[in-house]
Amino acid sequence: MAARPRPTADEAREALREAMARLAAGDQSALEDIYRATRVKLFGITLRILGDQKEAEDALQDVYVNLWQRADRYDPTRASPIAWLAAFARNRAIDRLRTGKVRGGAVPVEEAAPLADESPLADMLLVDAEQAAQIHKCLGALDARTQGHIRAAFFEGHTYAELADAADVPLGTMKSWIRRGLQRLRACLEASEAA
Amino acid sequence: MSTTGATPKNEITRDDPMIAAEWALGLLEGEELLAARGKAATDPDFAWRKQWWDNWFAPLTDAMPGAEPGAQVWDGIAARIAAQQPAIGAADDASPPTNVIALEARVRRWQWVAGLASAAAAALALFAFAPGRSPVEAPAPIAAAAPMPKPLVATVPIGETGLRLDVTYIPESEQMLVAAIGLTADGVHDHELWLVPADGGALQSLGVVVPGEVRSMALPAAATAKLGDGASLVLTREPIGGKPAGANAGPVVAKGAFTRV
Repeated sequence: MAARPRPTADEAREALREAMARLAAGDQSALEDIYRATRVKLFGITLRILGDQKEAEDALQDVYVNLWQRADRYDPTRASPIAWLAAFARNRAIDRLRTGKVRGGAVPVEEAAPLADESPLADMLLVDAEQAAQIHKCLGALDARTQGHIRAAFFEGHTYAELADAADVPLGTMKSWIRRGLQRLRACLEASEAA
Repeated sequence: MSTTGATPKNEITRDDPMIAAEWALGLLEGEELLAARGKAATDPDFAWRKQWWDNWFAPLTDAMPGAEPGAQVWDGIAARIAAQQPAIGAADDASPPTNVIALEARVRRWQWVAGLASAAAAALALFAFAPGRSPVEAPAPIAAAAPMPKPLVATVPIGETGLRLDVTYIPESEQMLVAAIGLTADGVHDHELWLVPADGGALQSLGVVVPGEVRSMALPAAATAKLGDGASLVLTREPIGGKPAGANAGPVVAKGAFTRV
């Protein structure tokens, strides 16, 4: 973990892409490079979902050990490395949450909504800006309530049942709200892809 | 945009892309989550759609503040990887026969015990081979003094063909014995075995199955940790060599679940 000059965002992305390719080719030293470049972002994710330092660190370990075991699962034609790793880390954290060992969702639902103002750590690798703008645009087109619930699911890892409880509505109602939102979201995102 | 009232009149169709979205968001739990995982292992369109959602949602993580993990995290990763090195190596070079023999001996030993206790048919089936295969000698009666770890056994029938996979895992051995009975190589496909953890964790490849042979397969620690009652297995048909990097898994040809004998 030697200190090194801070690369630009593009250089960092390119270095990560290259490290992922080396890892897939069986070069173990690539894993340390990937860890160095992504740990801050990925730990931010597992910590956010799990709300517990120890659990989040365990989840983070799982992410990288898993990555090393199955580096071939990453398909560079489908996603940028950081987008894929971010989703991977969040999925692992959610898995852990669902095994029931963790209390999870450290942050109340009400605080979940707009997080855009929170500034990430300076050396955090971000997902592609264009892609980010589009999902924010499509989410922003949903009504505020639906958007809030979808965000709460994403940021806190809440289930339908938890969201329904928090909003004090029947489970079926919450499912309908969110599914309708997801349907619109899909249409909006697909339209952006077609454009 | 305030028309999303309490009682939905036009109910949303919960099609596969919708379920993939729910999964990607993390809304699914229990049976539904398991079903989604299983489907993703067998349905390339569904797996594609899940990744599509994952990828679109990924930029939202930029709003999660970054955090520096403890220095011991990397040490832990390095240690776990170092610990798995020999196991991975063994899996790669088609498993040394001595290893198989040693494991078979252990299996026979518990099998005798289990046979006395419960006449577990699934366990005995391990030794029933298709005609033409050199049969493994019948289990010799061995008095088992020390209690053996209870093995997990899964029988994976392949359609109506009478072919099957018998999979035995002895806890703490980090080895699994796989007998692909009646399965023959067609020269075009391999069959890859996948673990579907009972806790809903990610599917894990257990490697390519060798037709018509009993093989020991080394298990990565991450896989053994997920093995347990209720963990299930799926067998997919893949190109020679197993699922190519970046490709979706092939069609599922068989499924089975582990039970403790």
